[in-house]
Amino acid sequence: MGIREKGYYRWEGELNAKGFTWFPIFLRGIKHAFRKKYAKALFGFAGMPFLVFLVALYVSTKPELKMLSRLVRLLQNDAEFFNVFYSNGLLTFIFLVLCIFIGAELISGDYKSNAFPLYFSRPLNPRDYIMGKFSVLLFYLLLFSLVPGVLLVIFKLLFTGAFSFDIGLFGALIVYPLFVALFFTSFTLLVSSLTANRKFVAAAIFLVYVFSNAIAEILRAIFKDPVFELASIEKNIQQTGAWLFGVDPPISIPAVYSALILCLSTGLMVGVIFRKIKRAEAQIENGG
Amino acid sequence: MGRILELEHVGFYYGAFRAIDDVSLHMEAGVYGLLGPNGAGKTTLLKIILGFLNPLSGTGQVLGFDISKDRKLMRRHIGYMPESECLIPGMDAVTLTTYLGELSGMPHQEAVKRAHEVLYYVGLEEARYRQVETYSSGMQQRLKLAGALVHDPRLLLLDEPTSGMDPGGRKEMLGLIRNIAESKAMNIIISSHLLPDIEATCEKVIILNKGRVVHQQSVSSAGTQRYNRYELRIKGDADRFIDRLQAMECRVETNDRGLLVVMLSLKHSVMDLFRLAVEEGMQIRHFRQSRTTLTDTFVKAVGADDGN
Repeated sequence: MGIREKGYYRWEGELNAKGFTWFPIFLRGIKHAFRKKYAKALFGFAGMPFLVFLVALYVSTKPELKMLSRLVRLLQNDAEFFNVFYSNGLLTFIFLVLCIFIGAELISGDYKSNAFPLYFSRPLNPRDYIMGKFSVLLFYLLLFSLVPGVLLVIFKLLFTGAFSFDIGLFGALIVYPLFVALFFTSFTLLVSSLTANRKFVAAAIFLVYVFSNAIAEILRAIFKDPVFELASIEKNIQQTGAWLFGVDPPISIPAVYSALILCLSTGLMVGVIFRKIKRAEAQIENGG
Repeated sequence: MGRILELEHVGFYYGAFRAIDDVSLHMEAGVYGLLGPNGAGKTTLLKIILGFLNPLSGTGQVLGFDISKDRKLMRRHIGYMPESECLIPGMDAVTLTTYLGELSGMPHQEAVKRAHEVLYYVGLEEARYRQVETYSSGMQQRLKLAGALVHDPRLLLLDEPTSGMDPGGRKEMLGLIRNIAESKAMNIIISSHLLPDIEATCEKVIILNKGRVVHQQSVSSAGTQRYNRYELRIKGDADRFIDRLQAMECRVETNDRGLLVVMLSLKHSVMDLFRLAVEEGMQIRHFRQSRTTLTDTFVKAVGADDGN
């Protein structure tokens, strides 16, 4: 395989001076996740809550289905309906699976293949790199939460024929999935930036989530104080949902505390990721 | 073309260790070799040039861009071929090179076209649809070079470009670098500890030791490209022998061991030396090919610095 006696052509085009330098990372990440083995099966599964709630929504608009009157009452309360849609255990579980499936290797893969010199010798800084990685997972999480949420609103309007919807509630159903997706993305990328071992990352994401719930339950049982439920990721997500949608919180403490906890931990995790990537940039090719 | 690099009193420390110590460098357009033993500061200097590290003291410009403030702009015009194995698995060479082009700011279609061109140029045209993790180390080096070239940079930084290559591949890589250097408007800085690589490709050499620049000179002034060096001990009329050698455009010196050092022009073979000795009735009692001048320079520069 010899070097060809072919001249080197100069490229006369113009490099993109502005714009989103992280965008190629986003596009590559989206394609890569979609081409993974079992991706289509997982994405099909992730669309299940939407289909179930869509059917339920249709049912709620049919007064002749009297045997489902309790369900109809729930579904006709928009705030309850969207709170249940977003905060239900299945959707949270789907979030967790998506984080493991798509997010676990986002940064750990680059550690493993030592790909940082390829990124940081380009016009990218750690912020661009993190935004690129962030956007990949955020895209998929919002695809299976925010998009179905907005579609459900549209279908509800279509099924009922009444073209009015509470603007505040609409804001909540935009903000809530964004808020939760940001938290899960930061959490996943933080764990992914700690090691080059993808399996460890996947296990850690799952275990941290499960143990946070278990520890919260144990502490609450020992001290008989609901404040310890704030140690649970799941409970904080549910509390925040209740706060945003204006429904009764599942635990009897102000729901805004949970929103603050999630907000602060997201900020903290992003800070740590930034430090880790900045260090990875500086440590490229450490040696002579 | 103006200066490609200007560093003024640049310093960088890892804790108490001075990786780069008050380095001032001015590089005009051309091909530079960065030489130095392990731990000399070559890689740290490259990191500073690329903007991976902020110098703790001093100032600098690369291609007119401030190394501390204009990192992103600067990197648009720099191509970097890292030493380490650093390819993203799960991609073929075309996809990876396209991706790197896009990261540099090239539009997608242009990046695809250009990826094919540079892969052809580095000799990977037949393997360009293979997954990069199946590449041999020589092919990976070529691929890294293609990635560094894809956006047509003004400055190419090559860190140990022949690392892990077999002799044939190494020769081809050096040929490729020479080709880029000679016929393209591209400036190159090669960091290597392999003196023959530097001799074969560079016009100028900068020797680093303990984070400081200990020597700078043009490679051709050292005569390494034009001569083969031999050490001889002769018996007979040395003056006449030397006169005849000089008439053949060979430089002759005497070294500190009293040996005659003959820098035989490349147009003469070693047999011409023996024929001349026969013609002059000389006896050659010791004969061996000498180390290159650059090696001497390197050893002298680093050795003197270590002595200090």
